[in-house]
Amino acid sequence: MSKNITIHGKANDNRVPSRVLEETIQAHVEQGVRDITINADGQHGIGGRIWPRGETVRFTVKGSPGQRLGSMGMFGTEIVVHGSASDDVGWLNCGAKITVLGDVTNGAHNAAAQGVLYVQGSGGARCDTMTKHNPKQPPPESWYFREVGDTFAEFKAGGIAVVCGVNPKNPRSVLGYRPCVGMVGGVVYFRGAISGYSEADVKLLDLTDADWDWLTPKMKTYLEAIDRSGYFDELTSDRGTWKKLIPYTAAERSKKSAFKMTISDFKANFWEKEVGKDGIFAEYVNHPLTPIPYITTGIDRRYKPLWSNKKYAPPCQGNCPSGIPTQKRAALIREDRLEEALELILQYSPFPATVCGEICPNLCMEACTRGQLDKPLNIKGLGKASLNVKAPKKEPPTGKKVAVIGGGAAGLSAAWQLALKGHTVELYEEADEVGGKLGLSIPKERLPQDVLLHELKRIKDTGIHINYKAAIDSTKFNEIYSNHDIVIVAVGAHKPRKPSIPGIDSAISAYDFLRGLNTGKTYDLTGKRVLIIGAGNVAMDVAAQAWHTGAKEVTAVDVQKPAAFGKELEIAQSLGTKVVWPKFTDKYVKEENKVCFTDGSTIDTDVVIYSIGDIPVTDFLPPSVHTNKGGSIEADEVGHTSDAKVFAIGDVKQQGLATHAIGQGRLTALAVHTLLTGGAYYRPAPVLPIPYQKIKDVYYEICRDAQFSTKAEGHKCMSCAVCRDCHMCEATCYVGAISRITPEGGGYEYVSDDNICIGCGFCAGVCPCGIWEMVENK
Amino acid sequence: MEPAARLDQNHELTLKDFPYIIRWRDDRCKRCGRCTAVCPMLSIYPSVKAKRTVGSFGPVPNPKVERSVETVVKQSTNIANYCTGCATCSLVCPNEAIEPEFNPAHKFLTHKNTGGHPYTRGGRRNDPLVSTLDRLKFTRISMLTDPALDAGRHEFRIRTYLGRILPPDELPIIAADDDRLAMDKNSTKFIPPVREIYPVMIGSMSVGALSPTMWEGLAMGITYLNEVEKMPVVMCSGEGGMPLRLLKSRFIKYFIPQIASGYFGWDEIIRAIPHMVEDPCAIEIKYGQGAKPGDGGLLMAHKVLKLISEIRGVPTGVDLPSPPTHQTKYSIEEAVAKMIQSMYMAWGFRVPVYPKISGSKTAKAVLNNLVRNPFAAALSIDGEDGGTGAAYNVSMDKMGHPIASNIRDCYLDLVKAGKQNEIPLIAAGGVGKKGNLAANAAALIMLGASAVSIGKYMMQGAAGCLGDENNRCNVCNLGRCPRGITTQDPKLYRRLDSEKVAERVVEIYKSLDVELKKIFAPLGRSTELPIGMSDAISADDPAIAKRLDISYVC
Repeated sequence: MSKNITIHGKANDNRVPSRVLEETIQAHVEQGVRDITINADGQHGIGGRIWPRGETVRFTVKGSPGQRLGSMGMFGTEIVVHGSASDDVGWLNCGAKITVLGDVTNGAHNAAAQGVLYVQGSGGARCDTMTKHNPKQPPPESWYFREVGDTFAEFKAGGIAVVCGVNPKNPRSVLGYRPCVGMVGGVVYFRGAISGYSEADVKLLDLTDADWDWLTPKMKTYLEAIDRSGYFDELTSDRGTWKKLIPYTAAERSKKSAFKMTISDFKANFWEKEVGKDGIFAEYVNHPLTPIPYITTGIDRRYKPLWSNKKYAPPCQGNCPSGIPTQKRAALIREDRLEEALELILQYSPFPATVCGEICPNLCMEACTRGQLDKPLNIKGLGKASLNVKAPKKEPPTGKKVAVIGGGAAGLSAAWQLALKGHTVELYEEADEVGGKLGLSIPKERLPQDVLLHELKRIKDTGIHINYKAAIDSTKFNEIYSNHDIVIVAVGAHKPRKPSIPGIDSAISAYDFLRGLNTGKTYDLTGKRVLIIGAGNVAMDVAAQAWHTGAKEVTAVDVQKPAAFGKELEIAQSLGTKVVWPKFTDKYVKEENKVCFTDGSTIDTDVVIYSIGDIPVTDFLPPSVHTNKGGSIEADEVGHTSDAKVFAIGDVKQQGLATHAIGQGRLTALAVHTLLTGGAYYRPAPVLPIPYQKIKDVYYEICRDAQFSTKAEGHKCMSCAVCRDCHMCEATCYVGAISRITPEGGGYEYVSDDNICIGCGFCAGVCPCGIWEMVENK
Repeated sequence: MEPAARLDQNHELTLKDFPYIIRWRDDRCKRCGRCTAVCPMLSIYPSVKAKRTVGSFGPVPNPKVERSVETVVKQSTNIANYCTGCATCSLVCPNEAIEPEFNPAHKFLTHKNTGGHPYTRGGRRNDPLVSTLDRLKFTRISMLTDPALDAGRHEFRIRTYLGRILPPDELPIIAADDDRLAMDKNSTKFIPPVREIYPVMIGSMSVGALSPTMWEGLAMGITYLNEVEKMPVVMCSGEGGMPLRLLKSRFIKYFIPQIASGYFGWDEIIRAIPHMVEDPCAIEIKYGQGAKPGDGGLLMAHKVLKLISEIRGVPTGVDLPSPPTHQTKYSIEEAVAKMIQSMYMAWGFRVPVYPKISGSKTAKAVLNNLVRNPFAAALSIDGEDGGTGAAYNVSMDKMGHPIASNIRDCYLDLVKAGKQNEIPLIAAGGVGKKGNLAANAAALIMLGASAVSIGKYMMQGAAGCLGDENNRCNVCNLGRCPRGITTQDPKLYRRLDSEKVAERVVEIYKSLDVELKKIFAPLGRSTELPIGMSDAISADDPAIAKRLDISYVC
């Protein structure tokens, strides 16, 4: 059998189908033919899929081969094409050596895995795409003498391509347009100009020694195979004319930034260069636009804490017309300074037992925060406990002379304060004893007289000079006015206000009734029906006294919801007093023992007492002291009147409770003292009571011990609005911004370090006393 | 003095009435205060609680009481301090000890009208359901039919036109000496200016609505895309003026200044025109906004600090209302004609001018009018899912028109008139609502939009906006934005790094570009946008398919 055979692609002028040609070739190889010449006529896949069984099968292809020459070619197959070849030469080459002595069109060596492709001319588009290298086999090689077309080596995953760039038809690029897109393996050696490549996938490098050592000997073989040995020197004389494209490794790609330029570089070199330093808004803001963290300190915080000790008034003090700081007493008690605690009150009131302890409705206790938890502090008890405390030490004499007209609660309070400050106080009292309504109008059962007398004595002992039975008329007033530095008018209101109704002259006034009883006069109301016009607290005292003097029925009427409250109301009602409202009195018909009302109703009564308030008598005052229509002196809350030398306090200014009178007396005394010692006009800054929600009552356990003890009261106090120095804030502050300092002037303060504090609000949130507060950090 | 005996819980709301309930883990909390320091609404606050246990010890009843007081973090039940669920507390908590939990049974809207003031907020339509756009899918995948393209391998030119495109027979084209076509230089016919831009633009968010760091970050990102990536992405300024430094820079060509009913900042812009080295991309006239159709804007006085005051040309500390309507417009013909004319004149007829309206049944009427106005450069329609800085809840939740059918109706009207290639439609409102930015944009393009505009997506993507359709955060109106996006408080907006925002803008656009290619490649489209190519999309819902005149698939 001949080992050399020629197969014709055309028989009898008819083209042999690709299937028949393929079957013929396979049959010959099967029979041992190893050298085959094919006169091709466009047949597909010539020379591929040959199994040479360890030998070599040589093909010589003449004529016009069809697409995919040598496709799926295996080791041992050698094909030489005399002329050009069509598309996809060496497609999926698995080892064949293919030499094309002409050009190859599109897609040469596409998907080649092994084998060699030698091209004497140029390659078309998409050559060397999707080639790969199986590590078990040598890599595929593709050699192009002139150039290749567009999109060369796309998705190349392995294998070697060599493009010699001899006399390229397109001198601008021997690798065509956009080579190496998606290339992940292998290498492309080339010589000559290129117009770009896929920079995202591959990098352009010079050849290394190893590259050159591989290329030059192989070049010789290649040139011999394509009959171009004469070019060897030209192609290997200058390594510098060669370059290679290799893909970035997976590791390099993952590290590669998607950014062609960092934003910072862009900002510096483009943005700020064009719009100006620090960007487009820099000229509108006065702060840097650099980032700050979410958690900030110093001026960058949204809120900051303030230790606002005593910014607010404690509810007890704020609600006490005398302004007595009970929380201060409690603090002293907690510090075991019991005596000081009980003495403290005398700086505010000369009547702790009489007023706080007995007759005061104790607005302080009503307001006490502790009352929301269990029971308010027993401030009444604390008042009583101060009965036997000695008066504070007097200041040295100032030589200033102050006259106080009226020895009631207001006058005595002012006189007490001024005397303690060392001023000479001259007091004028119309009656033969001081105390005013405390002594004259309050039923004795509500106010033990020994308590009152004890406290009056303490006042007198301060050295106030008292003029008893001193009736004041304008002459007397002018004399006092000219003999003293300051005159304080505290004459009270003693003229009963009379309802203007027919028959009222047959009635008696509450003032006369109560004062009469307290000064020895007797009334016998046995079996009588008593009607009181007015139902305030004085009316309740009248009612109580009416019952005590034998009345069988007591009724109080008022035009509005009665103002009576507290103990007075309690006593009167417990005795059986009826309170009726609204009732507008029309007339009193004494003859018929009846009072008629505007609604047509009547009440039968034997005695009528009117108790709708008292009017001050101020006709002794000079015109420089302004009074209003009702005779009350016009004065501010400190007692300043229209006459700079005259102050007015107590009921003569505006009717109120004993505690109001005491408070005004103290404030006025402070103002007078300031004036006399060369100070400025005195007006205390208003202090708002602390909102309850600022006080953390959860710190305190509900008190189960009802027994009063001064000591226990001290511990019950929640120290509202006044720092109790408990260190809770300091302990809570996570960053340690809060510390307690002791300034040189004494005392202590808690401070927060702005450079550490993050403005979280824990100090304010945990403060038992409501001292720390968070404010906007402007 | 308030009475000591206060009423305890009367009229106080329970935590269950609130949309978000703070889950605070006592056992994990170390009381570091970071959460309470950042809470924008002061919804959480430090406090103390008392604990009291009673036990019995020993073989017989033997009571022992233990009482302690501990520091805690509490949630406010004051509706003014409601928890918005922003989770900034969780963000800063080092111990995962705190987080807000959505409470679907809340009664927030029932109560959030104290003082007789209806609920106002920022954010978007509170509807967490999937949008129509997300019901659309791309069903025409060419493999062997049309030449299929490879998004990774082929080069794409994703561009669109902004401006009025005259049909060839209306162009003054003549045969030049070399037999080529050329414009007739002697013609006095007005040739409208046209810009070639990237089809996804950043919609109008004003300086004022946005913080300076956010606005500059967006602007810088846009400029980077143009200058470095060569992607012609443009951004609309929103109403509220523009910083002079930008107006006078060559980058102004990437921006679309907006004029709206308040005309804020426009005196500053007009005075800057002689100093401008480039023309702006276009001018947008705002007639409506998708998020709050028929409602105007209000920049609260506390936001009007030096920066806003200078840019908007107003005194500091005043409320700045943008009325719902322009005051001197009485009819659609007059309104559109005179506004467009004026704005063309401002830049010598070199800059395209187009109106923006909110999605509405009346959009078709507006379009009908614009088609007959040779100056109208486009129509921008903003659908109901758009975001906003501040609006009444009722306007946001219950007013407006979804963009899908609105844009479709308008496009089909153009097709009927044979004008679909002449006047571009810009679609906005809910693009990327569920994160599918490219898909939503491509769907709108295939329904007929020439371009889409995005805003809220950028706030979320570029700056981490915390808002969502469950009314999370959404306090843009209050200036307390925890991310620093919508606030004029430097303490808050300095949390935002404009460089980082710019970087995210670039990343978003690069990623968007890849996704758009992934959608367009199988259609065989690499150079022309598939505008109106509705055979490429289908709906998985027959009613939607029918309404949009596209195929139904299942």
